[in-house]
Amino acid sequence: MFGRRPSTGPDAFSDEVLRHLEPLYATALRLTRNRADAEDLVQDTVVKALRFEERFERGTNLRAWLYTILHNTWRNRVRDTARETVDVDSTRIDELSAEPGGPAELETPERLLLRDALGQEVQAALDALPAAFRQAVWLRDVEDFSYAEIAKMLDVPIGTVMSRISRGRRQLFDALTKKHDEGNVVPVAK
Amino acid sequence: MKSDCKRTIDRLPSYVDRQLAPDEDADVDRHLNACPPCRRIAERERGGRLVLQQESSRLRSEPLPPGLRSRCEALARDHATRSSSSRGAAPVMRSLMTGWRSTLVPSVLGAVLLVFTASALLAIATRRSDAVLAAQLTADHSKCFLVWGDAGKSPVEAGDVERMLASRYGWTIHVPPSSAAAGVQLIGARRCLYADGVVPHVMYRAHGHDLSLYVLNGVARQPSELVTFGHRSRIWTRNQKTYVLVSSAAAEGLPDATRYMMSEAY
Repeated sequence: MFGRRPSTGPDAFSDEVLRHLEPLYATALRLTRNRADAEDLVQDTVVKALRFEERFERGTNLRAWLYTILHNTWRNRVRDTARETVDVDSTRIDELSAEPGGPAELETPERLLLRDALGQEVQAALDALPAAFRQAVWLRDVEDFSYAEIAKMLDVPIGTVMSRISRGRRQLFDALTKKHDEGNVVPVAK
Repeated sequence: MKSDCKRTIDRLPSYVDRQLAPDEDADVDRHLNACPPCRRIAERERGGRLVLQQESSRLRSEPLPPGLRSRCEALARDHATRSSSSRGAAPVMRSLMTGWRSTLVPSVLGAVLLVFTASALLAIATRRSDAVLAAQLTADHSKCFLVWGDAGKSPVEAGDVERMLASRYGWTIHVPPSSAAAGVQLIGARRCLYADGVVPHVMYRAHGHDLSLYVLNGVARQPSELVTFGHRSRIWTRNQKTYVLVSSAAAEGLPDATRYMMSEAY
């Protein structure tokens, strides 16, 4: 989509790091749901990446390494501030969120994709997911990382990653279809 | 749930991602054809993935906040200068960090960040002019009050702020409390990203103006006062710490608040 950026950093490694700023920021924003925190998080990630350059194994995936730093940094910060529980047992979350039925049964994935202005709704629906599910589906379906890479980033077993992806995808689909049905069924009063 | 169903549900992520071996894939297909409840669950999972994939490029192309790229580029340049001029810091880091995969553990990281803050700021102090220091802190001052100021306009206790800074970031500093005599109200504190270090930023209101106190560890400077970007920065050093007080230039230096801060910050 983007052409190769002209060299901006003082060396090849930092050039490579800086090339990932946009997707890192988008990921940070979904993680923090707050622009100021996302900005701080990206800057911290860049600081650490540059500082720990020697720890990066050449020839391995720099993007995955950067995302690991980003998630580690965020996990430390969240646990410090106890703002949100990330290491939550995903089965417990799922028990809490009721399985929907009713009108959503009619919606198919293909019909959903045809909807206008889907983008904004997806963003809102993502932000409404429990953090553990949001991180897993984002890294898998938006960023296209493997289960193993995601497990390393989130520091959980692969089985947990897969179950979070499952549940996150279902909840996201339910949220999008449910909202749409309500919008169609409920007439505007006044 | 029948065992067949459970086995199918467990394999749904790989099935939806088309990562199952052909025989397993056929196995899941067979079950889904025969079992409407499982079929519905699979449809929901497939729907969630399809939507995210379709929207992925839009979701990933979030515009960067102004200044983030240039700040990161500055960090990269600074890093390059430092690593070519002082290779000495690297071995220390290597002994503190024994592999990024396993060691971004909070306590270690906290210690590492503190070590770095002190060393990075010392390095910066010798290279950067007061004007650069003032300009960077002025930028942070404006940003923080814009983003956080409204949320924290009510006064807070100095003791609470000190405890928060100590428990969250490991900083033990004396935070000057609110003072009616000096017209100063303490409204909060947060971490400031200064250059490539982090320093405490304590936020005040004084006579209707935003006032910031920054504490830089281990940096010794000549006292000075200067105006950058419409803000006045007062810089002084005490007990191996440098303090910078930033306020709008329109506040005319807030003489009583400044005197108070210079005597109370230590």
